[in-house]
Amino acid sequence: MTVQTAPELYQPTSLDDAVERLAIAGPDAAPIAGATWIMRSPSRGESFLREYVSLARIEELRRIEDDGASLTIGAAVTHARLAGALAGYPALEALRQAASASANPSVRRQATVGGNLCTRDFAAADLVPALLSLSARVILAGPAGTTTAPLSRFLATRDTQPQGTVLAHVSVPLAPVVSAHARLTLRRAGDYPVAIVSVSAALDEAGVVGSATVAVGSVEPVARLWPELASAMTGRPLDADAAVRTARELAGAFTPRTSVEADDWYRLQVLPTVVGRAVRALERRGRAGRA
Amino acid sequence: MTTELVVNGEARRVHADPMTPLARVLREELHLRGTKAACGEGFCGSCTVFVDDDAVASCLVPLGMAEGRSVRTVESLADPAGALSPLQQAMKDNDAVQCGMCFPGMLMSLTALLEANPAPERRDVHEALVGNICRCTGYDRIVDAALTAARAATGTKEEDAS
Amino acid sequence: MSDVIGVDLPRRDAEDKLRGRTVFTVDAAEGGLLHAALRRSEVPAGRIVSIDLEPARRMPGVRAVVSAADAPGRYGITIADHPLFAVDQIRYLGEPIAAVAAETLEQARAAAAAIVVEVEEYAPLLTMAQALADDARDLHPGWEDYDVLFEGGERARNIGWEATVVRGDTDAAFARSDVRVIETEFVAGRQNQAPLEPRACVAGYENGRFVIQTSTQVPWAVRNSTARLLGVREADVRVVVPPVGGGFGMKFEVSLEPFAALLARAAGRPVKLVNSRQEEMQTALCRENAEIRIRSAVTESGEIVAREAVVLMDCGAYGGEQPFLTSMTAHTLGGNYRLGAVRLVSRAVYTNTPPNGAFRACNGTYCTAALERHTDEICAALGMDRVEFRRRNVLGDGDLGSTGQVFEGDVLAPMIDRMVALRDSAAPAERPDDGRLYGTATTVGTWFIFVGPSAATVNLNPDGTATLVTAGVEIGSGSTMQAIPQLVAESLGLRPEDVTVRAADTDAAGYDGGVGGGRTTVSLGAAGVAACDEVRRKVFDLASEMLEASPADLVLTDGHVAVNGVPSARVTLREVAERAQAVSGPISGSGSFTGIGVQPMSGCAAGHMIGALDLPVFAVHECDVAVDPDTGHVEVLAYRVVQDVGRAINPRAIRGQVQGGVVQGLGYALHEEITIDARGKVRQTGFETYRMPLSGDVVPVQLDLYEGAPSFGPLGVKGAGEVPILNVAAAVSCAVADAIGKPVSQIPLTPQRVLGLILDREDENVELRHIGPGWRANVIADPEELMAAAGL
Repeated sequence: MTVQTAPELYQPTSLDDAVERLAIAGPDAAPIAGATWIMRSPSRGESFLREYVSLARIEELRRIEDDGASLTIGAAVTHARLAGALAGYPALEALRQAASASANPSVRRQATVGGNLCTRDFAAADLVPALLSLSARVILAGPAGTTTAPLSRFLATRDTQPQGTVLAHVSVPLAPVVSAHARLTLRRAGDYPVAIVSVSAALDEAGVVGSATVAVGSVEPVARLWPELASAMTGRPLDADAAVRTARELAGAFTPRTSVEADDWYRLQVLPTVVGRAVRALERRGRAGRA
Repeated sequence: MTTELVVNGEARRVHADPMTPLARVLREELHLRGTKAACGEGFCGSCTVFVDDDAVASCLVPLGMAEGRSVRTVESLADPAGALSPLQQAMKDNDAVQCGMCFPGMLMSLTALLEANPAPERRDVHEALVGNICRCTGYDRIVDAALTAARAATGTKEEDAS
Repeated sequence: MSDVIGVDLPRRDAEDKLRGRTVFTVDAAEGGLLHAALRRSEVPAGRIVSIDLEPARRMPGVRAVVSAADAPGRYGITIADHPLFAVDQIRYLGEPIAAVAAETLEQARAAAAAIVVEVEEYAPLLTMAQALADDARDLHPGWEDYDVLFEGGERARNIGWEATVVRGDTDAAFARSDVRVIETEFVAGRQNQAPLEPRACVAGYENGRFVIQTSTQVPWAVRNSTARLLGVREADVRVVVPPVGGGFGMKFEVSLEPFAALLARAAGRPVKLVNSRQEEMQTALCRENAEIRIRSAVTESGEIVAREAVVLMDCGAYGGEQPFLTSMTAHTLGGNYRLGAVRLVSRAVYTNTPPNGAFRACNGTYCTAALERHTDEICAALGMDRVEFRRRNVLGDGDLGSTGQVFEGDVLAPMIDRMVALRDSAAPAERPDDGRLYGTATTVGTWFIFVGPSAATVNLNPDGTATLVTAGVEIGSGSTMQAIPQLVAESLGLRPEDVTVRAADTDAAGYDGGVGGGRTTVSLGAAGVAACDEVRRKVFDLASEMLEASPADLVLTDGHVAVNGVPSARVTLREVAERAQAVSGPISGSGSFTGIGVQPMSGCAAGHMIGALDLPVFAVHECDVAVDPDTGHVEVLAYRVVQDVGRAINPRAIRGQVQGGVVQGLGYALHEEITIDARGKVRQTGFETYRMPLSGDVVPVQLDLYEGAPSFGPLGVKGAGEVPILNVAAAVSCAVADAIGKPVSQIPLTPQRVLGLILDREDENVELRHIGPGWRANVIADPEELMAAAGL
């Protein structure tokens, strides 16, 4: 056995530099942004990689930009900054709630959007279902140039991205929707939720759902969309009680996970309740929007 | 390797690997042992310090990422030879302290709250302390002291604490 | 009227703690310190085939490597079953196998990891059900040969200790035709003390003696156990204790100190050893998990004619505190109520899990929860009001406890009345029609002051101030910062700030039983007051010459010796102290204290280190809860406490202890869960998953301090810091059962468990098949002999 050499930290100021460095360094290097997950490697019994490439000093990854059609959020934006920046975007309420409730205040000041989306082993990430529900796309920078993909596809392929790929931005369409994010923690706050539901819906003037997107986090190992529930909600007014009933009927589609916090059956059992909380919040927002 | 930081207003040069937790550097190299490191995972808050304007868990901050930044620790809250800060004084007056391990972090989290929101409600204090564990006191006096300090600073009248 | 007693004096350590200046053991950073790491077992059970330390010795920076050969002794409280390092056998995951000291912590850890350990694994016995099975492997082959440090407990194979109580003819009472028999089972999980300062120590070897600075509650026990483990004289170990960053019982036995001591001697340099949080989660000396069955025979009018109970306490791999704590069942589960006849058995059971230890109101928390759930089930069966049943049946003046001790004074019944008044003094908790289920419960509890020996010296300094020297440790409770200097100040007529309290040092202070068991203010306080009495005598002798008055006419007040009734005739204490320098030499006094030794009724208690309570303490708790039927979340809406404190020396400090203790109890009852996986690993590896209450999870406790109950403590005081956690799990369990309308038989009441109860899920059914039917089936000793000894 040998003493592990201390990991390196490379801190580029340009995205190109980061991509190049990661591509050269190979699998023993990874991007780091907020560091809140990676710094816990030793307590999880994991070794550090040989090198980390920090995204924190890359100015373009720290920006949030509104081009009228979408909001583009840099990967190195922290939860706290994101929550603050979303105050003027009622349609993105699900994302604002996710960013302002996850973990605890000090972690939110440090943990980033990119880290939340790229940490494969973090089933209870809050931003993932929120962004899924808002039909976000990710913008990936890599040695072969920039590509974009729906977040749902990225989640399925994030382990097999080519060396040097950096999740640079997330783009959230600024659609006329209402959205909400509900999370069930075991204490009042401070632990990772055992179930998360994010919902967005486009409502017509009568309050009828024209289209809906539902995403579920923490129930399965990776957050995912729930199109069947979204379809069932479409074409009728928002109805939390009906959504709970439908969720109960459809919940068999999930293969819930068991972890230290909660068993599989519990996550599945409470999922309709969390759906109900999210839809009830949508009802309130829908009413407020029409008033 | 050498890293430059501004710690409690003073430029400091430290020698540690870049992925070393800032908390460890503060404690072991700069002898600022007010910053505790009770859980090492960002859940207990005993290592909370300001990095630039953000109160963060310094156990999760790699030293390298704090390079060139300004760090404020509990030792900066009051002049060593002077009076306690109003928040510290309120804790003392409320007989809030027991073992004392959580207080440096509590004070930094509450300082962040009061800087952002000078007139918090009780609920705001609870939310600000979601990342700070106290195993001794049951929190009530800590929350009361924070509200007392806020009221004193904003000149708000004493109201029923319930 | 005193201006020192009953006064909310501030604590003298607050300012440094708030400035971040207080140096805890974990902060120690003297020059030249080596850092140590333990090599711990990665399996829960097995035979050690070989250990190769050489790879560690060859690693960079390594200065010493030690293992079982360096520590010949075994320690324990009743049975010396616990070696420092695993010898021949591994008994739990995390058990120390070797220790390394190196220049840096990383080097020490790398070297510890390099040690090659070959183990032939055994199937681990992880539960008490597994360990009690007829065909179970013995965890301690050769248990018969261990040194017995306290006689009287029965032992057999995986039952490390058994204590029994027999009083009255239980068989006859259960056979009566006019009684109903009610039976309750209850299971409680482990609870990690999780002080924010982990266990930590710095050891040096100076002039042939070990000098150990450590984060402990029991400096004298550390001194003695370290000597025993290392095979040296007790006098060759010195223990000093700076401020301790929380203990709650976990630091009530020796832990890391002997490892650091051995390494310091081997390396010739001071060594620091600190548990990581992960190590603390795996190896904390937790509050033990327990499994309980209670049966009672009650008449329709609500008289409890007989009670029988079996309590299984998981001591983990080694006995530690649990064999001793089996004593407490008699007073917690067997206490509180008048019982016609009673028969109890409490067993400490070995398992291949980390050893458990002491935690605030040890044994009392779960025994009270089980008893009070049982009491509510009796009330339900009889259709009686739960508060009225308690008021009628609680122990009062002249009543017998389970072991036959005679209780003095009516305390619990008037405390229940005070609780009703406390409840009525506030607006009732709202119960909006929000779909939640609302419940409430009132519970009683009996605890005690763990008295025992303490010594104190008080020096009257030439400047007229006093210095108190004891082995009392400041663990955060404030006893040595507030109440004890207040008692000394009161005795000597000084201001509390004129009383200096010496930090604990076994070279300076006499023996002390340690800070825990609610004993600090009583035992150390009484020893301190006794020392002051000697000082007062010497002062009065001298001052009587100076004032030309009889010593009997003198009083100490405001820093003066004065002639009673003649305010102008006085000298300052400083003048007396200065005079003493010339006449008699400096004035000092020494004092000591131990219990009064209340005894159980002859033949009623076997295997008990505490057969009767010298100084009982009572508590009445009440809580209101709301339960979310969709998620199982329990919200505590209000919490009320009436606590017997004897006399409140510093009421504000007591209130702080009660708030903190209740909140720890809420964690135990609702949030804090420890589960052990099939490989013997504690699944909660840190504060992400070990969920202690946060500020938003708690409510301010409404408190009424009950003064005036009998106490032989100084000025009638009783300890107030330990008892607040006693009946929290009881109150919460009963309130949740009330809310959901179903029995609650297990804690913690996590949302998943409560939802499982609401949904009648089978995995929430408690069935203790390994507890045999009736009391007789669960005792090692011949039950008929035990009955005969009790006069039956």
